[in-house]
This record gives sequence, C-alpha cells and structure tokens, in this order.
Amino acid sequence: MSHERRTVNREELERIIALCESIEKRGLDPFSVNVKELLMKLRRILEEQKDLEIIILDAETLYKIAVLISLQQKWLKERASSLFIDSQLVSLKITSAEPKQLAAALARSWRPIVRAEQLTPYRVRQGMEYFLMLPPRDRAYEKLPTAQEEALRILKGAEYAKDVVLEDEVRKMHERCIMAAGSDGEVDYWSIVSADTFEETVWRAYVLSFVISEGLADIKKNPLTGEIKVVPYPSKRTREKVAAFVISLKSGEVPKALGREKE
Amino acid sequence: MEEKRNEVERASKKIAIAASMLLFSSHRLPGVRGWELRRRLGKDYLKIIDALNNKLNSIGLRVKIMFDQPSGEHPAQDDFDKARFFITLSEPLTVADIVAAGWSIEDVAILAAVLSYIFTKGGKATEKELMELLEVKFPRWKVEAAIERFIRKGYLTRIEDNMIKVGWRTLAEVDEKELLKAITDITPSQPKEDNKENI
Repeated sequence: MSHERRTVNREELERIIALCESIEKRGLDPFSVNVKELLMKLRRILEEQKDLEIIILDAETLYKIAVLISLQQKWLKERASSLFIDSQLVSLKITSAEPKQLAAALARSWRPIVRAEQLTPYRVRQGMEYFLMLPPRDRAYEKLPTAQEEALRILKGAEYAKDVVLEDEVRKMHERCIMAAGSDGEVDYWSIVSADTFEETVWRAYVLSFVISEGLADIKKNPLTGEIKVVPYPSKRTREKVAAFVISLKSGEVPKALGREKE
Repeated sequence: MEEKRNEVERASKKIAIAASMLLFSSHRLPGVRGWELRRRLGKDYLKIIDALNNKLNSIGLRVKIMFDQPSGEHPAQDDFDKARFFITLSEPLTVADIVAAGWSIEDVAILAAVLSYIFTKGGKATEKELMELLEVKFPRWKVEAAIERFIRKGYLTRIEDNMIKVGWRTLAEVDEKELLKAITDITPSQPKEDNKENI
C-alpha cells in the first residue's frame, strides 16, 4: 500500500514539474495555474512520505513553482506597462489587414543593415600586400606548365607516356588476338603478350587489359595447369559478371617460350 | 599647426578604417564586435565610431550598437567591447523601396505579422500558432517557405519544441515598439464601391 502511495505521489510531483516547465517553455499564461493549490499538494505529499527520493523531487518541484511565480511577476509587469499590446488584438489586426498594409507597418519600423558584398580598394591592397609577402613554396613549382600539351611533353620526356593513341593500339591488339586464335577460338596469353624487351611486354599486357575490359575478349585460367588463355570475340560483348584478374610480371621472368613459336 | 594637421589626418584614416570594417566583413554575420574595433582603432574607438556616425547621418545611415545583454542607460566599457556594431539605414524605407530591393509584398507582410505576434507573446510563439494565424490570409506552403527563409536570414530562430523566437537580425533592424504601434494603427480597408454594387 505504502509502495503504491509512493508511486502515486512521485507521479504527481513529476506532473507538476512538467506543467511548470511547459508554461515556462511555451510562454503560456502563468496565471492559468493555481500556485496555492500546488503548494498545498506539495505539503501533503511531504507529510505523507519522508523518504529521500520524494524529498529531492519535492525540492525540485518547489524550485519550478518559484520559477513560475517569477514568470507571473514578469507577466504582470509587462501587462501593466503602457506599451503592452495584447496578442489577441494584434491577431485581429493581422487577419483584417491587407498584405500591403502589413508590409507598410513593417516598413515604418525597419532599418535594414547596410553591408558591402564586394571588396573595398583598401582590402584589395591588403590582400595584394599579403600575397607578395608569401614566400614561394618550391622553385620547381614555379616552372610547372599549365597547358595539357606541355604536361604531356614532360611526361614523354620522362618516358611515362608513349606518343601513341591508345584506341588504335587496342584495335590492333584485338585484331592480333583474332588472327592468333584462328579456328581454336583462343590463344595463349603469354604468346600474345611476350616481346623481346620487358618494357614492350608490359606495354602489350597493358593494351590487352583494355581489350578485355572493353568486352572484345575474355580471359580464362586453367586451375590445374596454370595456363592462361585469351578468348577474342569478333565484336564487343556485354559481360554478365565483372571480375578482376591479376597477372604478375617480373623483369627477366617473362615466359617467352609459351606459344611464341605459334606467333 | 603641423601636429594638428597630422592628428586630423590620423583621425580621418581611422574613420575610413572603421567604415570599411563595419561595411565589409568576412564573417557570416555582418558587423563587428567592439573588441575587434578596439584592437584595430585603439582604446578610443567609441569616439571614432561617434565621428563616423556623424558623417554617416548626412547620407541616411547610422551606426547601430547591439548589446549582448540588455544594458541600462549607461553601458560599461566591457558591454561595448562585447557588443556588435552595424551600419543600418537611419530612416525607414517605403514599401516601394522594399519591393525595388527584391522583396515581395507578401513576404514582407508575413514577416510583419510573425514579428508583431511574437513580440506580443513575450518573444516566442509556437510554429502551429503562427501557421493558424497566417493560414487565413496566405497559402500554407507560402507561409512555411517564408518562415524557413526568415530563419536562414536571421530574422527568426527556431528553438526547441517547434517554438519560434525573434532572431538577431530582427533585434538589429526592427523597432519593436514602432512595429506594434504601426500594426495597431491599421484600419481595415473598406470594400471597393464596385464590389458593393456587385453584391
């Protein structure tokens, strides 16, 4: 019985706290609550239950009621001021006014902020001074070309790019695969890729990867023998499954013997 | 004599710096804080601002100081340091000027209604209340879009529980008393003569 009573009292205190908080947050009329009645309830609960939890909750409720009383004082002060205008009156005026009248009312009391949306000569000068003060990041960057051709020229000079059109190379490689496959319909990977120099072998493998990616050929590996076969198609095919196939290549270890004779 | 001329030149330069700081700022919010002005113009920055204000008055502008906390009649130096300084128009605009600046009459009307209602509700009101008030005159979507726009511009602020309160820009630009007076002065427009005849 005592436990039930305690639960009821706690709920009642929590309800009072929630009520006070909602009035405070929502700016409702603080006189809509009977403070005297709330204080009487508090006294009764405190007399009935004197355990720590209820005492703490009671203290919190008392604080919330005190805040409510301070709101009542503020509310009264506002109402008593000669400048107070009731929200009901303003609502009536708003609903009865034309949009233009409302706009004119705001225009009477509105002094917009003036702000420049562009740089002043002073700020430009400041920015220029700062820019000139900055040290260069690196001498090499100063000579960096901006044009694409110039960049390509440097790459070629550094042997990072060839003077060829990749599309043409892909087409040539596709034709070579078809020729080499003949009636078998497939050709050994290394016979297509192997060349006299390591660089050329890497280049061929690179171009062949584009042929396969484009759907002009497929690649198969026999898991027992380790043989890798290229299956060229006469025309482009849409691949149902996309998979990655890794073939490692090391300088001096190119298996040239495989199918080189066939070529 | 030479010294005096130098003094005047220095002051003029400081006024120009103050004007550029107040008019052009790289912050998201316009204007500058008092401490920023003090750092750039020296401890007598309020005198410089006063001189700038006198110059601006002649072209219809003024320096507005917005304090963080409502201060009494005589704010302390610390209050000025924390306050935000703006340049605003010194005289109100006409509706035609506002429309020419790119505002629609309906948007300005919605802002007037929202602000005046919030002012009378002690500085905040629920979004639902505002909707109910304005739905009578404007389509709901228009009111919602306008409120969102005013929140982005800083005229309104959304706080917890869908409550709307006035934003920093309203405090800087709108005269609360003047607006409420203007709203209460509105007299309902009479229906036109030809409308009466039709009825």
